[in-house]
Amino acid sequence: MIKLVASLVLRASVVLTGTALATFALLWNAPGDPALAIALARYNAVVPVEVIDQVRAEAGLDGGFWSAFSGWITPLILGDLGQSSVTGRDVWPELVTAMSYTFPLALAGLLVGIAISVPLALLATQRPGGWLDRCAVALASIGAAIPAYWLGLLLILLFAVQLGWLPAMGARTPAHMLLPALTLGLGVAASLTRILRSGILEARGQHFLPAFRRRGVAASDISRHHVAPHVAVPVVTVFGLELAFLLEGAVMVEVIFSRPGLGSFLVSAIEARDFPKVQAVVILSAVLFVTINLLIDLLYRALDPRIGERDA
Amino acid sequence: MLSVDNISVRRGATVTLHDVSFGLAAGRTLAVVGESGAGKSTLIGAILGLVPCSSGQVTWDKTPVARCRPALVMQEPRSAFNPRLSLYHSAMEPLVAQRTVPDPERLNMLCQGLEIPPNLLSRRPTEVSIGQAQRVGILRALIAAPPLVLFDEPLSALDAVTQKYTARLIAELQHEAGFAALIVTHDLGYAAAFADEIAVLRAGRVEEYAASRAFVEAPRTDYGRTLRDAAFALGALERVA
Amino acid sequence: MRSVIVLVTVFVLLALVGPWLAPHDPTQINIPNRLSPPNAEWLLGTDALGRDILSRLLHGARWSLGLAFLISVIGLAIGTVIGLVAAQGGKIADWIVMRTTDTFLAFPDLVAAVVIAGVLGAGTGSLIFALTITGWMRYARVARGIGLSLLNRGYVVQARLAGLSPVAIARWHYLPSLLPSLTVVWTGMFARAILSISALGFLGFGVQPPMPEWGTMLLDARIHMRSTPLQMIWPGLAVVTCVLAINLTGDALRDSLAEADQR
Repeated sequence: MIKLVASLVLRASVVLTGTALATFALLWNAPGDPALAIALARYNAVVPVEVIDQVRAEAGLDGGFWSAFSGWITPLILGDLGQSSVTGRDVWPELVTAMSYTFPLALAGLLVGIAISVPLALLATQRPGGWLDRCAVALASIGAAIPAYWLGLLLILLFAVQLGWLPAMGARTPAHMLLPALTLGLGVAASLTRILRSGILEARGQHFLPAFRRRGVAASDISRHHVAPHVAVPVVTVFGLELAFLLEGAVMVEVIFSRPGLGSFLVSAIEARDFPKVQAVVILSAVLFVTINLLIDLLYRALDPRIGERDA
Repeated sequence: MLSVDNISVRRGATVTLHDVSFGLAAGRTLAVVGESGAGKSTLIGAILGLVPCSSGQVTWDKTPVARCRPALVMQEPRSAFNPRLSLYHSAMEPLVAQRTVPDPERLNMLCQGLEIPPNLLSRRPTEVSIGQAQRVGILRALIAAPPLVLFDEPLSALDAVTQKYTARLIAELQHEAGFAALIVTHDLGYAAAFADEIAVLRAGRVEEYAASRAFVEAPRTDYGRTLRDAAFALGALERVA
Repeated sequence: MRSVIVLVTVFVLLALVGPWLAPHDPTQINIPNRLSPPNAEWLLGTDALGRDILSRLLHGARWSLGLAFLISVIGLAIGTVIGLVAAQGGKIADWIVMRTTDTFLAFPDLVAAVVIAGVLGAGTGSLIFALTITGWMRYARVARGIGLSLLNRGYVVQARLAGLSPVAIARWHYLPSLLPSLTVVWTGMFARAILSISALGFLGFGVQPPMPEWGTMLLDARIHMRSTPLQMIWPGLAVVTCVLAINLTGDALRDSLAEADQR
């Protein structure tokens, strides 16, 4: 077990190093002189060559790729994300502020998604192939095809513009959270319904279940002890994918609803070519992702011991 | 001349081949016999380089064995052919790999020797009988005239009549082409009838190595005697003495 | 299934001949006639610069679908090659390829695509690059998985013993077996590419104006949501129906493959 955890952690750190390197290489090779970009962003006017050179030296950009990379990665490992190249302020506090908007939104979206998909999947699988089931499948298919930004615009159009019930733009009151969370949640619900439905159906179809039923094991016991674990594995897998979707969706939703958060933080950082901020978001999402996948991997093996054996 | 020098194969903690050595000269036939699990398939894999050896080496005329492009006839003839391709396509692969075209005369001769009807090669492996597929398997093994051919239980998927017939064809072709043949089999009767030497493999070790006639007349080890007597009892081996 | 095929065919035809069906020039600016509601002359109305929305939609099909097709096919080619290298190249090559794949999977695709396209500068070239480099991993995983399962099949062993080159083995023995599963992955990635292209367009990092692309059109329409809400419906509807049709095709394909497997 310890060996397994160690190998998974090793794998995760290799992946994180790779992401750091890939991100840095991308930004290093971005068109234009980064020092000039910083100088322009900072002074917002025509800048003399000496100032650009000074900026270049300050930012550690004058020693080539590897020296710049090590100048960035060393503090990063210690948890220092550096300073904004535009304002010169630390990136961390701004990033924390952005996260404090994005994470509650992602959580709310997830809750909305679960609140819709779990009852829907349970109802749909009562009678597989029945009209309710078909409706659920159709809704899930359509839901998976609707891009978050369009759904968001439609919800704004309906609830904010036409009906005037809910606020749409910004994040001043808790009510401002409702439409973004609904947008995100509907997307989550679409894929979650699909997976839950097929998971439940597959578990019910397992050959041992009729045998239990014949032996008179109570229906509730069957679903608790035998159906639930079978549904758990695919659901855990999807949960990992869902988190990607949530982060991605949150970025889009924040832009649509003009909400502060990681999405707006990232988009404005890219537009300002404020690379330390861009790097911070990318690394943060990679760390989040890799950690969550690591946990899911472990959870997965705990739920289904066969997976570990196959790997060994 | 094939020489297998002290090869061992380990998988994790278990040793599947233990310090196996033997030689096989051109034109000769060696039968490796043993029960299931004795390491016969691993031995084939190790000789062909499909299974890495933890120690020892396998050479052909003092060069790595892969260089002489040894051929293999497999136990399951159907799975040895890609179901999507014609038998001809698969059988000509050794020539394609050497960027040569089949010599029609040689192909014709081999087909006659293996009694493969002309239109059979255009079919797919699922459209022919197992015996036919096995004969095409032998054709593929011999097409590029390799000096060494390995047979992994070449008869066990076939029915009794086809077994005798195929065994005879292999022997005749070997007589003509003069390749060294290593036949892995659990059928001692087949081994005794066609091989020059017999090696008895038990739990990854060569238990006994003898001329096949000598082995059938008087095995030197208890295990060899057990194997021989079991084959007598089954009627698979005729009493030579 | 049949209706889905019909729908997909219609979209493919639209992408091919759409521009000739368009009643107007999609980039013709006509300020006096801006934000016109749908009428006989302008079937779906006009946008903020007076351009015909129907014509822009029809031309946009070529951008959205054509680019998505291109991106998903490049990804298919790259991913398949990488997956087969991992499957055939031995343990070390496999480890390197799999960790590289994990690395690229470590960001949400869209976030990575936004960063790449944004940093490289908005434009069709960086859009294609961004979506290709974030879109090959699924193919690689599938190709590697099936490749590994074929590695010890009798006929693959025979091909290796015969001395056939890895490229020839891939061509004759791996690709035909991979093709069905890769096609299913491809339909999914095609649909994703359509969504990603329009998402990047909506964020302003995608196809640049005045080219009509559905996401960019939506971005333009958003500003005039209050006065002409209908303008916002069309591009979105186009994306949704396309993606839905492709996804349903993929599902049908997967089901028929599963059936063929059982037989």
